[in-house]
Amino acid sequence: MKNRGLAWYVFVSSMICALSQSAVAQSYDYDEVISSANSDEPEFNVMGFGDIGYISQDGNNEEGFVIGQAVGHLAASLGGSLSIFAEASATARDSGYTFEIERLIAKYEFSDLFKLSAGRYHTPIGYWNSAFHHGAWLQTTNSRPEMVKFGSKLLPIHFVGVLLEGNLPRNRLGLSYSAGFGNGRHENVARAGDAGDINGDKAWMAQIQISPDRFVGLNAGIGFYSDEITPDDRPEIRESTVSAYVAYTKESPEIIVELLHSNHEELLDSSVSGDVTAWYAQFAYRLKDDLSDWKPYARYENTDVDDTDPLLFDQGIDYDAAILGVRWDFNRYAALKAEYRAEEFDNNGRENNFRLQLSFVLARL
Amino acid sequence: MNCIVKKSNTRTWRIALYLVALFTIPFVAQAEESIAQTGLAIVVHKDTAADDVTMGELRNIFMANKQFWPNRSRIILLVRAPESDERDYVLNTIYQMDEDAFRKYWIAKMFRAEVPRGPKIVFSSDMTLDLVVAIPGSISFMRADQVSDAVKVLRVDGKLPSDDGYPLK
Repeated sequence: MKNRGLAWYVFVSSMICALSQSAVAQSYDYDEVISSANSDEPEFNVMGFGDIGYISQDGNNEEGFVIGQAVGHLAASLGGSLSIFAEASATARDSGYTFEIERLIAKYEFSDLFKLSAGRYHTPIGYWNSAFHHGAWLQTTNSRPEMVKFGSKLLPIHFVGVLLEGNLPRNRLGLSYSAGFGNGRHENVARAGDAGDINGDKAWMAQIQISPDRFVGLNAGIGFYSDEITPDDRPEIRESTVSAYVAYTKESPEIIVELLHSNHEELLDSSVSGDVTAWYAQFAYRLKDDLSDWKPYARYENTDVDDTDPLLFDQGIDYDAAILGVRWDFNRYAALKAEYRAEEFDNNGRENNFRLQLSFVLARL
Repeated sequence: MNCIVKKSNTRTWRIALYLVALFTIPFVAQAEESIAQTGLAIVVHKDTAADDVTMGELRNIFMANKQFWPNRSRIILLVRAPESDERDYVLNTIYQMDEDAFRKYWIAKMFRAEVPRGPKIVFSSDMTLDLVVAIPGSISFMRADQVSDAVKVLRVDGKLPSDDGYPLK
C-alpha cells in the first residue's frame, strides 16, 4: 500500500509540475505590446550619448578635464510609415555651452526600395560621418578622424534638404543607395545652409553601398558630392568631392579605411583650382575570453591640401597623425578609452598628446 | 496471499511509472533535445504574404535591413529576451554576433535613424506564439517542436524544419 501511495504521489506531483510550468509560461501581460504594435498611435524612443575626457598635451597649458558632448535623441513612429527623428547636442566651448539641432528628419517609407525624407542630416557621404558622428560610445576610438571632425571645412558635415534612400530587393550584395538634394554650405563653409541656400545653386549627392550576405559586418561604398560655394571672403567656388570606404566591423578584427578627394575650382577663373586628399586607416581587435572587455586600436590619418586650392589652401588643414589606444568596455553601456596621439598640423612639427575618455550611451533595448 | 498483495503492488507501481513517463517524458525530452536536433522554426502571422525566404533575406529581415513584406506591410520583429537557447542560437547563426555586439548593432541602427526602436522582446515560446498570432506582419522564431497551427512556418532556402538540410538545424 505504501508503494502505491508513493507512485501516485510521484505521478500527481510530476503532473502538477508540468502544468505549473505551462501556467508560469502563460502568466504574462502582453496586451500593451499587441496594442502598440497594432495601433497608429505615436510610439516614442529616447536615447542619449555623452562623454567626459581628460587631455594632456605637449607644452599646452590648457590641459585638463573636458566635457565632450551631451547628445539627446528622440525617435517617434507616427503610425503608418511616417517617422520623426530629432537629435540635439550641448557642446562645451571656451565661452560656455552651445546648443544645436544636429538632426531633424521626417521620413516616409514607401517600401524598402523608396524611403523619402526631409530635414537636416549628417551628410551621408563616406562612413564615419553618418555611422558614428556624435555617438562617442559607438566609435572604438576616443575621437573622430580629423577629416570628419566637428567643424570640419573639408567635408560638409551636415546637409539640409531631401534624401531618397533604399535597399535593392533580393540581391546578395546587399546593395543600397542614397541620393540627396538641398542647400549647399553656408558662407562660413564649416556650417550647413540651415536657413536656406546662400547662392541659389543647390548641392546634390549620391552614394551606393554594399553589405554582402556572406560577409556579415562588411560594408563598402562610394559617394559623390557637388556644390557651388560662396565663402564670405573669396570668390564663388565649385566643389566636387568623391569618397570611398571599406569597413569591416566585426570586433575581432575591426578595419575601417576611408578616403575623400575634393576638387575646388573658382567659377570665374577655372585655372584657379586645387585638390584635397584625406584618408585614414583604422585597425582594432577585441581580445578573447577573459580579456574580451579590452580592444586595442591604431589609426593613421593624413590630409593633404594643394597650395593652389582656392578654398582651403590657407586653412591649416594639412594633417598627419598616428594614434594608438585601448578601449575598455567595463560596462555594457559605458567604455573607457586611453589614447596616445602624435600629430602634425600644417607641417609645423609633431605634437604629442594623451587622452582619456569616458563615453556612455543611455538606451533601452 | 502475501504473494498476491505483492504482485498487486508491483502492478500498481508499474502502471504509475508508465503514466509518469507518459506525461513527463515529453517535457524532459523537450528540455534535453537541442535546437540543432529539432530545428528552429521561423514563424510569421498567418496572413503574411510570404512562404519562403532565403537565408540572406532572413538575415536582412532580422537585421532590419529589410522592413517590408512583399505586399508592403511592415515587418514587426519579435526577439527572445537574453538567456534563452533560441536567442543564443539566432545570435550565433543569423546575426553572427554575441550579446554585446547585438546590443551595439541595434543602438547604432537607432542612432543612424534607420529604425525608430529595437525589436520587440518576448519572454517565452507561448508569448512568441500569442504575439505572432495577434500582430499582423510579425515574425519570430521558436523551437520547431513547439510550433502550433495558429502561425505560419516559413521555409528557409526552400526547406521546412522537418526537412533534411534545413539551414537552422
